Amino acid sequence: MDLTDKEYVERCRDGHQEDFRLLVDRYQKPLFAYLAGRLRDGRQVEEVAQESFVRAFLSLKKLRKPESFYSWLLGIAGRVAKEQFRVRERDRRNCEVPESLTVDAAGHGEDYPLEEAIAVLPESHRQVILLRYYEGLSCQETATRLDQPLGTVTKTLSRAYALLRQELAARERAESTINQTELP
Amino acid sequence: MNCAECRENLVAFVERLLDREEALACRTHLHTCPDCRAEFKTITGLQQRLVARGQAATNVSIVEPVMRRVRQTQSQPERNTIMSMLMKHRWGLGLGATAGAAAVALTTLLGTPKIQAAAVEVMTKGAQAAARLTSIHLRGQLRTAPAENFSNINPDCEFCAIELWKKFEPQLQWRVEKPGRIAVMDGQSTLLFIKPDEAIKFPQPSSSAFDTQWLHEMADLNKTLENELAAIKTHGWPVTLTHEQGTDGKPKSVITIEARSGLLAGDYLKNKFFATADTRRVYTFDDLTERLESARIYLHAASGDTLVFELDQIDYNQTIDPGVFQIQLPADVVWAGQMQMLPDNEKYAAMTSEQAARALLEACGREDWTEAAKFFDPLTAREKQNLGGLSVISVGTHFTSALSLLSGAEFVPYEIKLKNGSIVKFNLSLKRDGRTHRWFVDGGI
Repeated sequence: MDLTDKEYVERCRDGHQEDFRLLVDRYQKPLFAYLAGRLRDGRQVEEVAQESFVRAFLSLKKLRKPESFYSWLLGIAGRVAKEQFRVRERDRRNCEVPESLTVDAAGHGEDYPLEEAIAVLPESHRQVILLRYYEGLSCQETATRLDQPLGTVTKTLSRAYALLRQELAARERAESTINQTELP
Repeated sequence: MNCAECRENLVAFVERLLDREEALACRTHLHTCPDCRAEFKTITGLQQRLVARGQAATNVSIVEPVMRRVRQTQSQPERNTIMSMLMKHRWGLGLGATAGAAAVALTTLLGTPKIQAAAVEVMTKGAQAAARLTSIHLRGQLRTAPAENFSNINPDCEFCAIELWKKFEPQLQWRVEKPGRIAVMDGQSTLLFIKPDEAIKFPQPSSSAFDTQWLHEMADLNKTLENELAAIKTHGWPVTLTHEQGTDGKPKSVITIEARSGLLAGDYLKNKFFATADTRRVYTFDDLTERLESARIYLHAASGDTLVFELDQIDYNQTIDPGVFQIQLPADVVWAGQMQMLPDNEKYAAMTSEQAARALLEACGREDWTEAAKFFDPLTAREKQNLGGLSVISVGTHFTSALSLLSGAEFVPYEIKLKNGSIVKFNLSLKRDGRTHRWFVDGGI
């Protein structure tokens, strides 16, 4: 039976550093998808994701809410992506040879708000979404993995969809308000 | 079925978990109720977004690189990954312990009770044998067009040679070469040369670049092992182990993994690249040295499996001439560059992919290379010679792949007549530049 994020974080803090691999395994795919919405190049995505996990590990003691590990990780990843952007912009200015590695720092990327919305789901809902879509399991396989009845998984999925839609709609409304505010 | 019942069953319906009668009732209600139909479309729309995000991240595993760095923060650096993890757990196994016990431990660690322990054992020993390499040189052959992307596969093409030289110490350097293109990382920068005259350079070293990752993973068996086991665990890919006598008379262990891309049949990108292909991967290990000796990758297709990649020679720890990591470029090489903001950039940024495709092709027809370069840069003398004076027969409606949500690529069908009279009918791959938001050509011409 898988442990919760909180339990893994606490084990890592207690010196079981190898347990961190289970958090990396759990969140590497959604983190990649999140970063792919901000960065145009697959190598950059991998580098930034690795760096984000390592920084998260080194800062685990500072994490006040261990159950919010994934949401906290996305915040770290966003900051690392911006740092990478600044470094590469500087390198590009200092180098005559142009290159096409471009960070979409302005956030004109793809569907990364989806990962942000997933991050604020309750953990039980988030795990079902991650297993179903990022691990590619069927509902039945998800039920087996979580040791839950199939009906519970479909109900959780249904509730997760509703929460995701609410969260995405709230984000769109907030974005729309910001855009309108910026108009002259 | 009423609305409340339909809503309650909608996710199970979308997941095809309802029995035939319930599904029929749900379907019938959806046909007659616009509100529930709208709800159904919203759910399937969200589901498609989630599927696209998940598919794009399917082949990724950074567990080992992260854990390696985590360990480096805690102790002395070490090159082993899975094997060192086994040792750290102090199960009394150690590197010299019986491989069978190691396999059981590994299976437990990765939570993969269904994996055949014997297959894991062979791969574990292979990873152990490949640890602490100073260099590796892979030689193989790949069915692809000579100048195409390094990860492109095409079962209709003849085999062409592909090689990787990789030096791990004192600093990482590598070179990947096929007849039409060369990628080199000399320890300082990373360069791609597309013969005869195009190049792009990144001013920093990279562990892999230009879609060479799949070949690098062949050279890093620890990573291959990790990726394959993770995929087997996640997707339930079948894995088998057989024992054979090699042509050299020595015993071999052969592991076969049936890998699936997750893309639906009919997706435009399906089976065009290693990451998007359904393949059968066959790894052969020498039982005496325990090292990976060869690898073969077959492409699954409705018409049967086709051998698309064969790795038939692997040299471990041989001295590599430093000149391998240098490259002489022709004097007239054309460098690919960053797209520049135009004075009338908005006009181009507002275009659809179809409009951009037509504008590009018509500019080529007029030999207006300044205009064409707004979509397709660099244009070499060879490409100008080929495309100049073309006439546009048709430009179709764009389509996408399941991966387009992530890559942003749109594919526009076109038909043109070149000035030599030949007709070209294909799909232009276009992407929006992140800075200028203009469409640029990413392939297909």
